[in-house]
Amino acid sequence: MHRSKKLVVLGHFGVGKTSLIRRFVSDVFSDKYKVTIGVHITKKVVEISAGNSVSLILWDLEGTDDITTIRNSYLLGTHGAVFVFDVTRPSTFQNLNEDLKVVAEKLRSVPIIVVGNKMDLVDANDLITVLGENDIAYDFLSSAKTGSAVEDLFYKMATLLQEDA
Amino acid sequence: MLNEYRQRFINESLQLILLDNDSVVVASDNSIFHVAQGESITELHPFFESVPSLIESETKVFKFLCIHLSLQGDFRIVDISISKEEPHAVLVIHDLTEHYESYQSAAQARNESVIKTELTVIKNNELEERERFKNLFIQNFSHEIRNPLTSIVAIANILSDTSLTDQQRKMLDFLQESNAALKLMLEDILSLGAIESGKLHLQEKPFDLTKLFRLLEFTYKTKTKQKNIELVAVFDERIPDFVEGDRLRLYQILTNLLDNALKYTDSGKISFSLSFNQKWANKVSIRFEVADTGVGIPEESLESIFESFTQLDVGQNKDGSGLGLAIVKGLLELMGSKIKVTSQVGQGSVFYFDLLLKYPLHPVQEALKGSTSPIQGDIKRKAKDKVNLLVVEDDERIQTLILKTLVDAEFFNVDILNDGADVLKELVNNQYNIILMDVDLPNISGDHLTRLIREFPFKNIKNIPIIGLTANAFNEQITSYLASGMNKVLTKPFEKEDLIKAILRVLR
Ligand SMILES: Nc1nc2c(ncn2[C@@H]2O[C@H](COP(=O)(O)OP(=O)(O)O)[C@@H](O)[C@H]2O)c(=O)[nH]1
Ligand SMILES: [Mg+2]
Repeated sequence: MHRSKKLVVLGHFGVGKTSLIRRFVSDVFSDKYKVTIGVHITKKVVEISAGNSVSLILWDLEGTDDITTIRNSYLLGTHGAVFVFDVTRPSTFQNLNEDLKVVAEKLRSVPIIVVGNKMDLVDANDLITVLGENDIAYDFLSSAKTGSAVEDLFYKMATLLQEDA
Repeated sequence: MLNEYRQRFINESLQLILLDNDSVVVASDNSIFHVAQGESITELHPFFESVPSLIESETKVFKFLCIHLSLQGDFRIVDISISKEEPHAVLVIHDLTEHYESYQSAAQARNESVIKTELTVIKNNELEERERFKNLFIQNFSHEIRNPLTSIVAIANILSDTSLTDQQRKMLDFLQESNAALKLMLEDILSLGAIESGKLHLQEKPFDLTKLFRLLEFTYKTKTKQKNIELVAVFDERIPDFVEGDRLRLYQILTNLLDNALKYTDSGKISFSLSFNQKWANKVSIRFEVADTGVGIPEESLESIFESFTQLDVGQNKDGSGLGLAIVKGLLELMGSKIKVTSQVGQGSVFYFDLLLKYPLHPVQEALKGSTSPIQGDIKRKAKDKVNLLVVEDDERIQTLILKTLVDAEFFNVDILNDGADVLKELVNNQYNIILMDVDLPNISGDHLTRLIREFPFKNIKNIPIIGLTANAFNEQITSYLASGMNKVLTKPFEKEDLIKAILRVLR
């Protein structure tokens, strides 16, 4: 069985959305920051079990600090969303719960995975304390730089989407 | 004509593709990308994989802005619209690469600067936090060192009164010198810590400003003479003798400035002046100034000379802690003033500040005058010899009151100390029968000092009766003072009779 599923990657600018996708799709990473405008779309086939794969159509959206300004057309026909924040910049997760509410409203009942990225830059114990204090629930803590948790999070999404179908 | 241009300029950036209901290409003008007829559009680029579901939906027109398409070795940023025209769908690709690229560079600059600012703020906060921690550590550490050091100083003083060989004497001198230097440094660190942490509370008490000025003049005349430079000291006559404020802290500010001038001046003169600015109902503004003809300060250092030990250039400050000017700055800020400096390299420097001080409308001396009641013969009977009394008190009104009460009676030798820090040394060098001790002393509290005295290894010192003087009338506080080892506590303001009664009680 093969299907294709549209996945949008959301979050503030500079949190590593593009980097996560590049790590996942091409297994590369660059320290250089190129601001994404509009949307880049790439595709990767994920094999969930023997003979059972999902084509993930990855929509890498322009980052914004105001989630309500996302162009609705980009979200049409979305099957799942990955919301990324930057663990080194509190401004990208301080309003996470409100941001997620907005996303959930716009996307209605699609699975959302929350990812804290740039884990290579912080102490995990300190971070977990800070996130706890800020009442932030996350699904993965990743690093596009080292590749840590990158496969896992997309694989998890693929599994969720397959169950959904 | 126009049509020809339209052909060239507009068609070039617009591509039309006609699709059937299954998203298969029926026709394409191929003006940007090559799209083969009969192929499914979904094969072209992942963007188009959503086209079938769009065609199936109710909506007639879709518009997608700023889509990055990289295909056939060609890269474009385009707007795409899809309109349903039964039984077809028309797909329009509008190439806006140039337009979006200029937008990209603007967004690049903006986002980078936003992120950079945020990270800088975070980093600065971390640095400040670390700095605070370090300062706190130094503070606590210095505090802990002070008690053993006090004992070392006292014992060294006692040792110096014993008979020693020349060699021992030399070693002891060196020891005492080092002790003194260490003590000064600790006091500086502690003062600065207290200032920076907001723990230092200024006193508001009347004191004799002329006396303070003359003391400084005298002290620094001697010091300048030793260095073969001149001291010019000027006190403006329009300034009232008595003002209200923190005498000890003002003294500290002025000695720091004068020491600094002395340190950096090898020839010429140091001028020290207090001049009158203005007077209001019961306030007077005074300009304090210390000028020297020393090495001067380069313009780029004019700010940093007031920074605290965190920026201290240790190599340059062999004598003293190098904290003097930071203390001056901090203390003046607490007093609502600001230290200012002008300087020219090779010519000298001028440090100055203005202080607004209250002054008592009625002369203090008058207020303190009163009938001196005859002192009871009791004292005479109790004390066979003259009673040596040490008063540790920085409030000049209380000092005066005590002097008035006791000195006339001729049974007492009274010594007065303003600062608790010198008490142990005085106790070692003199024989006192009673100590009158203010609890709220600057630098070291009276109860703390009492505890130190009570722990002293010499009987004749540790057992001296101590009468505490305090403005705190609360019972628990008085109890805690008594617990520190005071024999009796008097609450200010007290009457002469109270004082005499207290002395009688503790005299054995
Ligand atoms: N150290 C580190 N840097 C990262 C990581 N992910 C992204 N970056 C850097 O963060 C910047 C922004 O990344 P980008 O993927 O463009 O963020 P986007 O705006 O969310 O797409 C770039 O300079 C990346 O190199 C990570 O996991 N670790
Ligand atoms: Mg990006």
